[in-house]
Amino acid sequence: MVTRTACQALQRRFATAATCVPAAEVRCQRSAVFSREQARQRALYPRVEKIEVSVQGPGLDGTMLVMNKGMSTPLSCARHLTEHHVTNSALALVDGEPWSLHQPLTQSCSLTLLTFKDSDPTLVNQAYWRSCAALLGQVLETAFKDNFTVELLSTPEVAVTSGAFCCDVVLDPQLDAWTPSEESFRSLTREAQYLIHQDLVWEPLEVVPAVALEVFSQSRCKLEEVEQKAAQNPKGTVTLHRCDDHVLLSAGPLVARTGLCSQYEVTALHNLEQGPRGLHRRAQGLSLPLQLQSHHTVWRKLRQRAEKLVEVPRLEEVAPPSPPDSTPPASSQ
Amino acid sequence: MRLTLQMLISHGRMARRIGLGPESRINILRNILTGLVRHERIETTAGRADEVRFYAEKLIDYAKKGDTDEKAMKMASFWLTEKDLVPKLFKVLAPRFETQSYGYTRMARIPNRQNLDRAQMAVLEYKGNPFPPLYPVKKDNELTLLNQLLKGYREERAQELPTKA
Repeated sequence: MVTRTACQALQRRFATAATCVPAAEVRCQRSAVFSREQARQRALYPRVEKIEVSVQGPGLDGTMLVMNKGMSTPLSCARHLTEHHVTNSALALVDGEPWSLHQPLTQSCSLTLLTFKDSDPTLVNQAYWRSCAALLGQVLETAFKDNFTVELLSTPEVAVTSGAFCCDVVLDPQLDAWTPSEESFRSLTREAQYLIHQDLVWEPLEVVPAVALEVFSQSRCKLEEVEQKAAQNPKGTVTLHRCDDHVLLSAGPLVARTGLCSQYEVTALHNLEQGPRGLHRRAQGLSLPLQLQSHHTVWRKLRQRAEKLVEVPRLEEVAPPSPPDSTPPASSQ
Repeated sequence: MRLTLQMLISHGRMARRIGLGPESRINILRNILTGLVRHERIETTAGRADEVRFYAEKLIDYAKKGDTDEKAMKMASFWLTEKDLVPKLFKVLAPRFETQSYGYTRMARIPNRQNLDRAQMAVLEYKGNPFPPLYPVKKDNELTLLNQLLKGYREERAQELPTKA
C-alpha cells in the first residue's frame, strides 16, 4: 500500500512539471520571489529624496504635500489628510493615470483620490470588479484539498453591468463530474469573507517579464499570459499583485485592500468548453463595497442574475485589434 | 392660522397674538414682509414667520395683476414700508412666479434662539432666490457600482419580458 502510494506520488512528480509541487509550496515560492523583487526595487532609492505632490479634490485645492520619492504611496498622502480619505479612497489618479493606492510615487505629480461615491466612479468600479475576481481566484486556489490541482486561467475583463465578475479556472481531472452544491458555494463564500475580514492589502509591483516568468514558472498558462501582457504593454513590463501569499497577474490596478468589500458571494461555477488543459470552468460572484450596501431584497435580485453565465467575447477576437504594433503573442490560438 | 390641538382647547381665542395690539401686529408684519422682499430669505421666530407667510404669498398674488392695477399698487405700497422695493416686487418677483399659482415661499425650522428666551426660530424665503439651498440637494448618481448593477438588471428584464409575452 505504502509502496503504491509512493509510486503514484513519484509518477505524479514526473508526469508534468505543473502538478508535482504542492500548492502551498508554489505559493510560498511565488511570494518569496515577489518579496525579493520588491526589496530590490525599494533599494533603488537609498537616499531620501523629496517630491512635491499637489492633491486635487473637493476641499483640497492647493494642498501641496512634500513626500519621499520611491517610498511614499498615495495612501501615505491620504494619511496626511483625514481618516475619511484613508478609509474611503479605493484608487488614486496620478497625473491622470489610474494608480494603485500602495504603489510608490516616483516623481512630483498631481494626485486625486478616487472613491466609490465620486461623480464618475467608472474607473473605481472597474478596478473593484477586477479585485473581486482576483479574490475569487485566490479563494479557488486555496479552497481545495492538496490532492486536487487548481489552475487559474487568465481572468476575463467583464463590465460591471454584466452583473457578475468571473474567474476562469481548470480543476483537477478527478473533479470533472463534480457539480458544486449550495453548500460548496457557501463554503467558498466563507473563505472569501475570511480574507475580507483580515483586511489584506493588494501590493502592486511592476516587474520586467523575466521576473514574472520566474514567479509563474510552475504554470504554463500563466507564462503565456505574461508574454502576452508584456507584448501589449508599451513599456514592456507587467504588473503583479500580491494579497497575503497569493501572487496574481492583473490587467490593471486593483483597489487598496480586501476590507473594502462588504457583501461578497460566490454564486456559480459554470462549465465551459473542453480546453487543452482540461475542462474550463467559470466561477462567478457578486460583491458590493462597504460604502454602497444594498437592501437584502435588491441583493437577492442581483444575486439571482449573477448566477447566469456571463458571456465574454473570445480572447482571439479581442486580442488582434488592441496591439497593432506589437509582436503576435506566442500562445496557442 | 394653523389648527392644532393647542388651538382646539384655547376656547375660541384662536389668533396668535403678536405685538401690543392689532395695529402693532400689522406694523410688525409689514416690517418683516419688507425685509423678506428685500433679502428674499430672512430669519425670525417661528410664529412670526408663520404669520408673515400668508401675507407674503398674498402679496405676490396681487403683484401678478400687474403694476397698472389699482388694488395691486395700493397693496404693495401699504405692505412695503420702503418704497424702492415696489418696482422689485412687480418686475422681479411677479415674473418669477408666473408659472406657479401658489407656494411661493418656503419655511424651515432652525435651532432655537440661544439667548435667554430660547424662542423657536425659522427661516422664511421666497423660492428661486440666489442663495445656497436650505436643504441638502439629493445626489443621484447613475454611475455608482450598485446603480450600474441595477441598470444591467433592468435592461435584462426589459429584454426578457417581450420574449415571454
